[in-house]
Amino acid sequence: MQDSKKASFINAIQENEGLIHKVASFYTDSKEDKDDLVQEIIYALWKSFDSFKQYAKLSTWMYRVAMNVAIFHFKKGKKQVPAVPINPELLNVQDTGDSDTEEKLQLLRYHIQDLNLFDKGILMLYLEDKSHEEIAQIVGISKSNVGTKISRIREKLKRQVSKQK
Amino acid sequence: MELDDLKSDWASLSKQVATTHYLTPQIINKMIQKKYYSKVNKIKYPEWAGIIVCILSAVYIGFHFPLLDTVFLQTVGITGILLLIAMSVISLVSVSKLNILPDVNKPHVEVLRIFASQKLRFQKIYHYNVVLSYLLLVVIVLLLPKILEGKDISHNKYFWILSFPCGYIFLLFVSAWVKKSYRKTLQQAEEVLREVGT
Repeated sequence: MQDSKKASFINAIQENEGLIHKVASFYTDSKEDKDDLVQEIIYALWKSFDSFKQYAKLSTWMYRVAMNVAIFHFKKGKKQVPAVPINPELLNVQDTGDSDTEEKLQLLRYHIQDLNLFDKGILMLYLEDKSHEEIAQIVGISKSNVGTKISRIREKLKRQVSKQK
Repeated sequence: MELDDLKSDWASLSKQVATTHYLTPQIINKMIQKKYYSKVNKIKYPEWAGIIVCILSAVYIGFHFPLLDTVFLQTVGITGILLLIAMSVISLVSVSKLNILPDVNKPHVEVLRIFASQKLRFQKIYHYNVVLSYLLLVVIVLLLPKILEGKDISHNKYFWILSFPCGYIFLLFVSAWVKKSYRKTLQQAEEVLREVGT
């Protein structure tokens, strides 16, 4: 029973690996922190895998858990235990953390640095091209409220960019 | 940068990030196990160090209690022990509560609300501890000459000239640092609470 649960969990993680990396990249600014957050998210997903309702969309549940873990990781500031080291070279897979990608990510983080966590969460889902309905489900506000929030974020970003110039 | 520019940038970044595939079953297994064993390590080392120093100081005062020969000094001694215990308990409880991860299945807005409230509570408690530190400084200055019997420093004018001002200047710096470092966090927490409608 435990083995089949673990197998379906591993399968779910592997299918949605990109989602986890994207949330981690959005909320952290160093590779070390990102690895640590990825680990925390996977642990939290594993702990709540039993409570995952099958009728909910898997990615919606994963976004919710990942974003909730990310803000607590952010709160703790520093990691408490070393993350399981991930060495892409040893695993013979492509390391996507190239300097160009990292530079673009840093620029994005720079532009959104003054947004609060609530706005950051909504922005990330908007950038992920999620529908207002799905954002509402993940965040827990009404669909119409999502539209209002996105308009406000748009204005905030405009103001911040003109301030930063 | 407009929101739409951000969106197109993110889309190209996403393509690269989404191609990352290094979570093998072995790595996922390790991550689950490693985090499981790390659960005992919920409180950060600096907090533990502070708590241990407070407890050792309380024991030290208790051990030298017979040297306090007047009712006034005994009252000051008991106050010192109580202050040290209170500060340890406050640190322990506040940090433990801060590290409790709420139900991650809850909607993000609910978890954000809990998160912001916890931060505000922690900040208030941290201020209480700074205020208690000022009281503790008075207690220590009053007790030190008696406890360090044999090395009577109470007649040393430099002790009185330096101990209070140095202690208070140090605490002033600590208070200023606490205030500065948490101001932004507080503003953000308050903003989040306002926006999520608490």
